[in-house]
Amino acid sequence: MGNEEAVFYSRVLTELTLSFHIIYATIGVGVPLMIMIAQWVGIRKNDEHYILLARRWARGFVITVAVGVVTGTAIGMQLSLLWPNFMELAGNVIALPLFLETFAFFFEAIFLGIYLYTWDRFENQKKHLLLLIPVAIGASASAVFITIVNAFMNAPQGFDVLNGELVNINPLLAMFNPAMPTKVAHVVVTAYMTAAFVLAAIAAFRLLKGSNHIYHKKALFLTMKVGLVFSIAAAIIGDFSGKYLAEYQPEKLAAAEWHFETEENAPLILYGVLDNGEVKYAIKIPFALSILAHFNPTAEVIGLDQFPEDEIPPLYIHYLFDIMVTIGVWMTLLSLVYWLGVQMRWKMVQSKLFRWLIVLGGPLSILAIEAGWWLAEVGRQPWILRGLMRVEDAATTSGHVDTMLILFSGLYLVLGVGSIVVLTRMFRRNPVEQELEDRHATKGADIS
Amino acid sequence: MTDFLIFYAPFIVLIAAIVVAFWAALRDGAVREK
Amino acid sequence: MTLEIIGVTVLWTFLFGYLIVASIDFGAGFFNAYSLLTGRQHILTNVIQRYLSPVWEVTNVFLVFFFVGIIGFFPKTAFYYGTTLLVPASIAIILLAIRGSYYAFETYGSRGHKGYSFMYGLAGLFIPAALSIVLTISEGGFIEMVDGSPSLDYYALFTSPLTWAIVVLSLSAVLYISAVFLTWYANRAGDLEATNLMRKYALIWALPTIITAAGIMVELRTHNQAHYNNMMDIWWAFGLSFLLYLGTVWLLVKRRSYGLSFGLLVGQFFVAFFAYGFAHRPYLLYPYLTIYDSFTNEAMAIALIIAFIAGLALLIPSLYLLLRLFLFNKDYVRGKKDNHA
Repeated sequence: MGNEEAVFYSRVLTELTLSFHIIYATIGVGVPLMIMIAQWVGIRKNDEHYILLARRWARGFVITVAVGVVTGTAIGMQLSLLWPNFMELAGNVIALPLFLETFAFFFEAIFLGIYLYTWDRFENQKKHLLLLIPVAIGASASAVFITIVNAFMNAPQGFDVLNGELVNINPLLAMFNPAMPTKVAHVVVTAYMTAAFVLAAIAAFRLLKGSNHIYHKKALFLTMKVGLVFSIAAAIIGDFSGKYLAEYQPEKLAAAEWHFETEENAPLILYGVLDNGEVKYAIKIPFALSILAHFNPTAEVIGLDQFPEDEIPPLYIHYLFDIMVTIGVWMTLLSLVYWLGVQMRWKMVQSKLFRWLIVLGGPLSILAIEAGWWLAEVGRQPWILRGLMRVEDAATTSGHVDTMLILFSGLYLVLGVGSIVVLTRMFRRNPVEQELEDRHATKGADIS
Repeated sequence: MTDFLIFYAPFIVLIAAIVVAFWAALRDGAVREK
Repeated sequence: MTLEIIGVTVLWTFLFGYLIVASIDFGAGFFNAYSLLTGRQHILTNVIQRYLSPVWEVTNVFLVFFFVGIIGFFPKTAFYYGTTLLVPASIAIILLAIRGSYYAFETYGSRGHKGYSFMYGLAGLFIPAALSIVLTISEGGFIEMVDGSPSLDYYALFTSPLTWAIVVLSLSAVLYISAVFLTWYANRAGDLEATNLMRKYALIWALPTIITAAGIMVELRTHNQAHYNNMMDIWWAFGLSFLLYLGTVWLLVKRRSYGLSFGLLVGQFFVAFFAYGFAHRPYLLYPYLTIYDSFTNEAMAIALIIAFIAGLALLIPSLYLLLRLFLFNKDYVRGKKDNHA
């Protein structure tokens, strides 16, 4: 196998692993916070429904977190196996957050084990909730640290290159690079948002499938409200990301927005298709790109004309941008209407159609996460470390990547199908109505 | 201004959103049994 | 003590931690699958559920910690080992994934899907085999430089007796460590039947472990003279390890204090593992890579060590809490309490 092939298969395998891992990682970051919110509300209001909600989410979380752990281990190792030259360089400058990530995860794993196996063990529910705090912090901190590494790939700093040698290395400066704040905040907040909408989809589905229990209504209202808050935050932080890109990675912004010529008063292009270098059927919002990039409708935005041909990312990332933004806006509107509707007692939000839309919102949110990551990663091309190392120079020279690709595809198929089967079976066998009844029946005996 | 939006504002929005989410979660009067 | 030595000691310690906790985990899976075959499944299933399920993620982190840490402290290892280990490490990841998913899926899924349990058990044997290949490769002689990039000579690797000696040692050590631990655990749980069964397994696997360990010494003498000579310089450490081994076996035979017996076993492996590592110094990969020429810059090394100390301050109390709840809590171990979500 020539090295071009090794590069190609390394890219495919990394993309596959990340695309699969990110589903479980996003849920793994977001759900602990949702469990925490539910259990906290339950304790504050002394409402058994919320406590049971937290408990059932925690059970499902065990499954998704397991897949997240094993695929996370896979991507962690694959970074060194598939991109050894990159990791050799990265290890010198950005190893600190990678190292901290393992600690954060260590912390999370320990307390997750304790939290899961100590339900009803404490007289005071608050003590049990305390055990969840390290889980939620550890989960979010893992996301923060690993996203810092990704931010570094986009905006490397904290070192100098002198005659091909790395000198003046400053690990903290490397961590606090310009891409870090917007990227970290966007990743974390969209994880919360996605977790909320996925859980909302489940509650809506139960309501559609005949259960009219107040438990599901509370679950749906809670998750949609929280989802609304985080989707608004995600949009605001997304706007800040535009400003970061304009300042530090203008070629990524220009490629994502099909902004070819450097100009003032730049319009934002939404949707459309590219036909022989010409944009067709697009919606042009006047001044919007200038606002997104610089908070100023007349500001100049750098276009693709400023970059050499071989340093421009593939233009199809615009479609990924469209998908991400459309779903984000759609979910904000959907949850806003739902929230208003419940407050105002509109019949519409209780309708079948509306509930199906909420169910659809679960997979859509996951799709938005995928599109966002593809945009982030493809938008950095041809670089693996922007301005310093190209993807083709980073890959392994091993000739077995294609075989490994087949093996891992099989693994992810098994894990994906397995986790879905186990999750549905788990909740179908033990519906919430049944569990509520059981708990009432054994309440007297439970206290001992 | 731009520096503030790129370096600090994201974290402020993130933390504010978490606080608001907890607060909003408590307000469930609309779905409680009477 | 130089930064290089501190770094490699930290990593070696974590690898040792992984060796012990993962061996317990892998071995238990194998014994469980084996007892399924012989129709005694319930004996071990309980232990696996009560002890291994809560801690398997923690076990996994020891490994992740090691391979992330080694890239941090010794970035050049990414170039040499990353390129050459693609196949064995990928296989190990896939097998680890099977085991991880077993814990999650079987906790609630239908009780005991037999095929899955077998895969789970067998994976526990193949993982140490795949991972131990790294130790073999580090002895040198299997990696050639082709056009400036390292490539692994699979033929030489799989025809070398050293490879197979290390594979067999890893397997028997896994089963031995696991059996000794489970003897103790079952005894604490008051499960006499399981205790006797595990004690029997422990005694069976004690002998192959020590024989292959000695066999590797002999192999190294021809394969890597320098490493062998270094080991002979500290022969007393291996002697001490052997005495600890005798102590473990003696306690098992006498059916006395299984806890102490497990402690001696940890001591035996600790001494041998560190003596082996000490003699391997300064090479990470004979003859290409030493801890000195592959070491990261000073700023990163200091940052990592500070992070490590801060992390330990957080982890040690947490780990203690975990062990107190699942290992040292009599009611939990005996199955009197079940507070699972």
